[in-house]
Amino acid sequence: MNDGLALGQKEAFAEVEKLLQPFRKGDASIALDTDITRDLNIDSLAVMDMIMELEDKFDISIPLNVVAETKTVRELVDAVSRLRMGA
Amino acid sequence: MTPTPTLNTKLKFQRCGFSSLAQAMDYAAQGETGFNFYNARGQLLSVLPYRELRAQAQIMARKLLGLKLHRGDRMLLVADTTPQFATAFIACQYAGIVPVPVSLPVGLGAKTGYVDQLALQLAGSGARAAMAADGLGGFLAEAAEGANLLLHGEPEAFASLPEAQADLKPLGPDGRCYLQYSSGSTRFPLGVDVTQKALMANILGMSSVGLDIRPEDRAISWLPFYHDMGLIGFMLGPICNQLSTDLLPTREFARRPSVWLNMISQNRNSVSYSPTFGYDLSMRRLSDEQVAALDLSCWRRAGIGGDMVQPQVLRRFAEIFAPAGFREGAFVPSYGMAETCLAVAFAPADDKVRIDRVLRAGLAAGRAEAANASADEREARTFAICGLPLAGHDLEVRDEQEFPLPDRRIGRVFVRGPSVTPGYFNQPEATAAVLHQDGWLDTGDLGYMLDGELIVTGRAKDLIIINGRNIWPQDLEWAVEALPGLRRGDVAAFAVHDDEHGGEDVVVLVQARLTDVEARDELRRAVEAAVREQAAIDCRVVLVPPHALPQTSSGKLSRSRARNNYLQGQYGEPADPVPAES
Repeated sequence: MNDGLALGQKEAFAEVEKLLQPFRKGDASIALDTDITRDLNIDSLAVMDMIMELEDKFDISIPLNVVAETKTVRELVDAVSRLRMGA
Repeated sequence: MTPTPTLNTKLKFQRCGFSSLAQAMDYAAQGETGFNFYNARGQLLSVLPYRELRAQAQIMARKLLGLKLHRGDRMLLVADTTPQFATAFIACQYAGIVPVPVSLPVGLGAKTGYVDQLALQLAGSGARAAMAADGLGGFLAEAAEGANLLLHGEPEAFASLPEAQADLKPLGPDGRCYLQYSSGSTRFPLGVDVTQKALMANILGMSSVGLDIRPEDRAISWLPFYHDMGLIGFMLGPICNQLSTDLLPTREFARRPSVWLNMISQNRNSVSYSPTFGYDLSMRRLSDEQVAALDLSCWRRAGIGGDMVQPQVLRRFAEIFAPAGFREGAFVPSYGMAETCLAVAFAPADDKVRIDRVLRAGLAAGRAEAANASADEREARTFAICGLPLAGHDLEVRDEQEFPLPDRRIGRVFVRGPSVTPGYFNQPEATAAVLHQDGWLDTGDLGYMLDGELIVTGRAKDLIIINGRNIWPQDLEWAVEALPGLRRGDVAAFAVHDDEHGGEDVVVLVQARLTDVEARDELRRAVEAAVREQAAIDCRVVLVPPHALPQTSSGKLSRSRARNNYLQGQYGEPADPVPAES
């Protein structure tokens, strides 16, 4: 599933996967190409909660424009690991 | 860093009574009060006293004039809760330019829809310049392709302009103040033309009878500046009353709703406002100890507006925070819309939220008959009383032929008075559809009168409001119709009242030609996903047979009839127990 990810990305993926568990539809697992709003049962307030959890966990701030350009788990994981490295 | 003081030491309190926003700004700048910007942790990020705001705005006004913007030109401003936005808005006033505040992108994957919306707003307002919030310059640049702009960019791009050597001629009492883009659907945005006269009249009315603003008041808000309640209520209103105001970006409030109450407790704020859902949100996840640590006895006016006032939520809030000194009498239900600047009716001060209980049986026929105290919740429905119109304003409830109705008869709400807009910018047809020659505005809301007071029961127009956000059913329908296998006219979206939790549920009816069970399930999921992607909301999807959706005589979808059919169980799903109000 997450082969080929750098260490920081693996850590971010693990956290995102954990936070998104409650919103899975049926048996479908959380994968890198999961489209967060399309493939999961998550509303806008729960999305805000998840972003806040990620920010607190990794001590980062995810800017508005990055949130607006993020659709998939992969994009979110990339954004989190990029911000953690201060990029 | 020290926040601005609540009281001016020398400057005498003047409750509005100014003829233009620039004049109000000139006055407020003689004192020490101003704006304070906070984050979700309640940390003070920046302080902008009115004196400083005026000075910075005048500098920026000269920079804008150097751009060769002409008097009356429009400038689009992405309205983040920042000193840069406040400064740019006031700079436009001093430069004689009409600001057009617009929203921020909300949610994951919101970019595409947001850029499209910005492009339509740029075109609709004929803006000649546009300022993004920090980080959003790229989105604005995409939207600005093909638009005829002298300059677009983030605040820094404007700050680095040279100042023109020009005398400032501020927007005067007889013209526009700004355009408010919160009406109309995403595809056909409508900019409400807010004049200086209407704004000054509305702020005076709200500050006098409505909220009874006093010099010792201190305001606080997490409402967005791109919405009339945030912009007028907590930026322009406070300038006109020289009130210090503590500000929190909406997304920060959404992350930590309790910060609102913590800040009120610490900063001793006396005036704040929220739609019902904000009160609901802020009381979640608070322990008894956290409640006990708060002191909300300073909260004199807790306004409610922007969605239908839900008395049961307010009552729960008052009960939970009574140990923290909150009084139910602080609640001020109110009623208004962008077309009247902000609120035009306020519930008079009382010791609790005043309600009217009516029999459900009569509602569908347009009768709001008083229920006995013995009637239970199945028989009676409770509405909040939204109060009396502001001085100089009239409210009227009319029937289909627009004849005034007597008390306790439900009809369309009309309003007239100095707060009413002259219309939508450059949209004479849309204006004529709601604004009559004699000055009466058709609000699109449904309600009834009771001894001169207004009670709102719902909406005649099809607008859906979820968590204070306006959602146009057309936008949802178009998104769903774009799915493979569906055609134009196959979809009807509307809201039904959710009696259990308060608020609204969205129902989407879809004409499906499929018979295979799996294919139908798949379609249902695709519709849910399309709606979530379009508006970030959940909905109830109901598949109906071909030709099952009712049409008007001109062949258009009749949403109100589709909704009635649904509520009566014609589409086979369990109907909402409320026979709804239309």
